[in-house]
This record gives sequence, structure tokens and C-alpha cells, in this order.
Amino acid sequence: MTERILFEPATALAERVRAGELSCVELISCFLRRIEALNRSSHAFITVTAERALREARAWDQASVEAKASAPLLGVPLAVKDLIDVAGAPTTGGSRVLFDNLPAEDAETVAVLARSGAITVGKANLHEFAYGTTGENAHFGTCANAYDTTRLACGSSSGSAIAVALGLAAAALGTDTGGSVRVPAVMNGLVGIKPTYGLVPSTGVLPFSWTLDHVGFITRTIGDGAALLAAFSGRAPATTEPRAANGSRPLGGIRLGVPATLSTDRMDHAVRAAFEHALRQEAQCGAAIEEVALPDLAIARTVSLTIQMPEALSFHGGYLERRGELYGPDLRAGLAVGQFLLAEHYLRAKRLAVRMRRDVDRLFERIDAILTPATPIVAPEFGAAHAFLDGVEEPIGNALTRYTSLLNVTGHPAVVLPSALHPLGLPMGVQIVGRHFEEGRMLALARLIAEEPAFRIPPPSCDRGAES
Amino acid sequence: MKAKRLEKATLEAVRDQLATFCWRDEELEELVAPSRGLITPLQTLLDDLERLRRVDLGSLPPEEPLGRRKSAP
Repeated sequence: MTERILFEPATALAERVRAGELSCVELISCFLRRIEALNRSSHAFITVTAERALREARAWDQASVEAKASAPLLGVPLAVKDLIDVAGAPTTGGSRVLFDNLPAEDAETVAVLARSGAITVGKANLHEFAYGTTGENAHFGTCANAYDTTRLACGSSSGSAIAVALGLAAAALGTDTGGSVRVPAVMNGLVGIKPTYGLVPSTGVLPFSWTLDHVGFITRTIGDGAALLAAFSGRAPATTEPRAANGSRPLGGIRLGVPATLSTDRMDHAVRAAFEHALRQEAQCGAAIEEVALPDLAIARTVSLTIQMPEALSFHGGYLERRGELYGPDLRAGLAVGQFLLAEHYLRAKRLAVRMRRDVDRLFERIDAILTPATPIVAPEFGAAHAFLDGVEEPIGNALTRYTSLLNVTGHPAVVLPSALHPLGLPMGVQIVGRHFEEGRMLALARLIAEEPAFRIPPPSCDRGAES
Repeated sequence: MKAKRLEKATLEAVRDQLATFCWRDEELEELVAPSRGLITPLQTLLDDLERLRRVDLGSLPPEEPLGRRKSAP
């Protein structure tokens, strides 16, 4: 049984603890043993917070029945991206630069989840300071993909995704500036949620770009993501049903918008086929599919970079002066981009972002959700700097975040979930985008889609092994 | 007017004459001849921004709070 629970949904684990089937200490000990066995090879965690985790587990075991009943995440082992403060554990940002950064308090998000019963088991690895979506980290090691160890887990929340995928945690906190929660989640067969901008607090989180940063969740199921979101009480009605279903068809009455440019977008042929298959499934389930004119995704990318790189440089400037030699060369080069953009470029990008947000808001006057592929490619091999699609070269970070970055610019909530396995055995996924602050409806729709048999993909081999 | 292609000497001049960080030569080289590939090269970004300069944004502000809109279920 101990192996099996490593891959159970977080909500199921909390229910087991509440029902007295196992104690918090037993549950946390089980995950800590798994971390002990796999962390060195997986590079999932930079710091393991075993002592704190066991202390909190003992406290919850001794808590009153009433306290346990009001803790929906009771005992859930949580991985926290090492950009987010956990009291008493270093926040390195995945960098040598912050070697002496020891926060005294939990980030607000960690504190909220802890009050709901979640127990932090470690600080998860990441691309240095969340700069890139490949998740490569020369100092702390690069996480391999859960489905193919010759390929990248992707990032920047690489350790958060791998911790959940390998059964080292039941849920994870990440941050998403252009896709850094959603991309690694879906590339490892998981669910990734980027809530509405500002919905989940960023106090105690090292910033990369104040305008674009979102704290988000990586989970095994939509229901787990909804449970984490619901911990931010009153602000996210996470179980709201979508528009009333028509007849017996689960998506009856739902209007799904699909980007009109998809037919000409360059993407992996299997990804395209899987997405078109997903659309047919949605239509068969009653959804009305219509093409919508999304803001230009290439312009969104330009806007995103023009905002984020000067903001990142502004935050890192002091450290760059004092500890510049400790930064990785790719991040230093990225920060330099922020230096040579002009102030008017930055303001123009901010104004374009406002316009894009209004444009997407207008789309939601006639549709319930937007559906896109999660990414146009599957997880790249280690060391890949470019993607080649139909003979055209594209920076790998741009390709990975093509469909995700816009939503950081506009602040709309988005969730990704796996939809099929590529012939290479790698997960592909879809992204569902909702209206601002309507995560409940978005997740309810995602849950309906995830429940369709066609959307179930086999778990990675580590999970299959545990179940056998 | 089409801007000329960015040259390393321009970046060096900016670094040496304006209030900037002490960028290394290899970092300036990376900006004009990128090899890492992670993100859009600076020259491409500047070309894109040049195109976007022609977009009329009227009086649109650079910040706008997210509305917490109530919509029909």
C-alpha cells in the first residue's frame, strides 16, 4: 500500500488521513522515504524539509477532530518551488547568488496552504530564478522528464512537476511568468493551473516580473488543483459547475473558442492531430466550437519579453552588482536584454498588454472558454536550444510558451491537462482559458474534459511500477 | 524609418556612457550574435518593437486593474 499511495490524488490522501486509515506522520514518512531514494537522481528538491514536515505531521496528528475536519488538505505532502519562502529553509531561487538567503517567515501562499493542512516536504528545483522554460540548472542539476529521461522536464518549475510526477509530493506550488507552471506540468502528464493574476498572493515569492508573475499549482488531478485553489477562501469558487448541460451530453451548451490561426500555426504533426482529435471529442460531447481571433501570439511574446526583462533586471540589479559572477551565463545574457530596451519600449508593451487584455475580455462575451494546445512541441532533448517545425527554427523557450505566454500578459486564468501520448511516448496536452476570477467554471469544464476516456494517458513508468 | 542593425559598438557606447550595469564583452556579443536560443534575440525584439511603434494606442494607459466582473452562469 505504501507505494500505491505515492501516486494517489492529494484529496484522496487527505481523506484517508481524516478517515483514520493512516496518520499524517505515516503519510509524510512514506513520501520522505521516496524522496530519500530518488532525490539525488531526479534533482527534484534543492532542500528537503524533513524535520519541519515531521514536526507539522505530529502536530496535525495531535490536533482535534474539529481542526482536522476543517483542514481539506490534511497531511498533503507539498513541494514548494525554491522561489517561494518557507520559514527556516533557504530560498535559493535555484541560484548560487542567494546562498545566504534564509527567510524567517513562510510566503503567504505557503502559510495559507499550511493552515489547510498541507505539509511542505521540500524546496523544489527550477531554472535559475525562473528565467527559462527548459528547467536546465547547471548548479543544482537538471530534472529529466518523467516519461523519457533523455528529455527535459521543462520549467521553470521543473522540480515542482517532477516531484509530483515521481511520487515525491502529492501537489506542488510553482510560479508562472510565461508558462512556467503549465509547461512542465503538461510535459510530465500533470495538471497545471495558473490562476487569475493576483488571485494567489505573491508575498514572500522572489519576483521575476511583477507584471507577469503568477503563483500556480501542479497536481495529479483537476480536483486536486481545485482543492488547492479553494484554500484561498472565498476568492476562488473552485467547484462551480459550468453552464448547465444540455440533455445528456456533458458539454452541452458550452461554447469553446479555438484560435483561428491554429490551422496555419507551425506545430508538431502529432500535436496537431491530437488537438484536432480533442476538438472532435468536445464537439461529440456537445460543445459548440467556434474560431476566435486571439491577439497575435508572436506580438504577445514580444510584449511579454519587453516587460519581463527590464523588470527582472530591476530586481536583480543589486545582486548583479555585488554577486554578478555567481549568475549563470544564460541569465546574465537575458538580463542584458533588459538593459538595452528603452523606457518607451517598456511602456508601449505595457499599453499593448492592456489592449490584449481588453481584446480577450471581449471574446468572453460570446464564449465560455478558449481551448488551445498546451504547447506546439513535446518535451525537448537535453541541450536543445531551438525547435525545428516545418523547417523553421524557433528559440526553444518561445516554442514551449507559444500558447501560454499571452495569458500572463492578459492575466486570464488557464489550466493545462494531458490529452494524449505522442508516438514518442511523451505527453501532449490542451490548455483551457477562462474569464478573470472564474476559475471555478474553468476547472469544472476542465474536469468534464479530463473525465472523457480519450483524455486519459498512462502514467510514467515509475508510477506503473509502483502499481504493479 | 527603418532602424539600422544593432552593432556591438552601439551597446559598448551605451554601457560606457549611460547609467548601466557593467556588462561583459561576451554578453554584448551574445546580444548581437545570439547563440543560446532560449528567448527572442534582441535584434528581433527591436524589429518587432519597431513594427509595433506604428500601432495607434490612442490614450490607452499602461496599467488597468482587473475587473471582478459578475457574469451570468
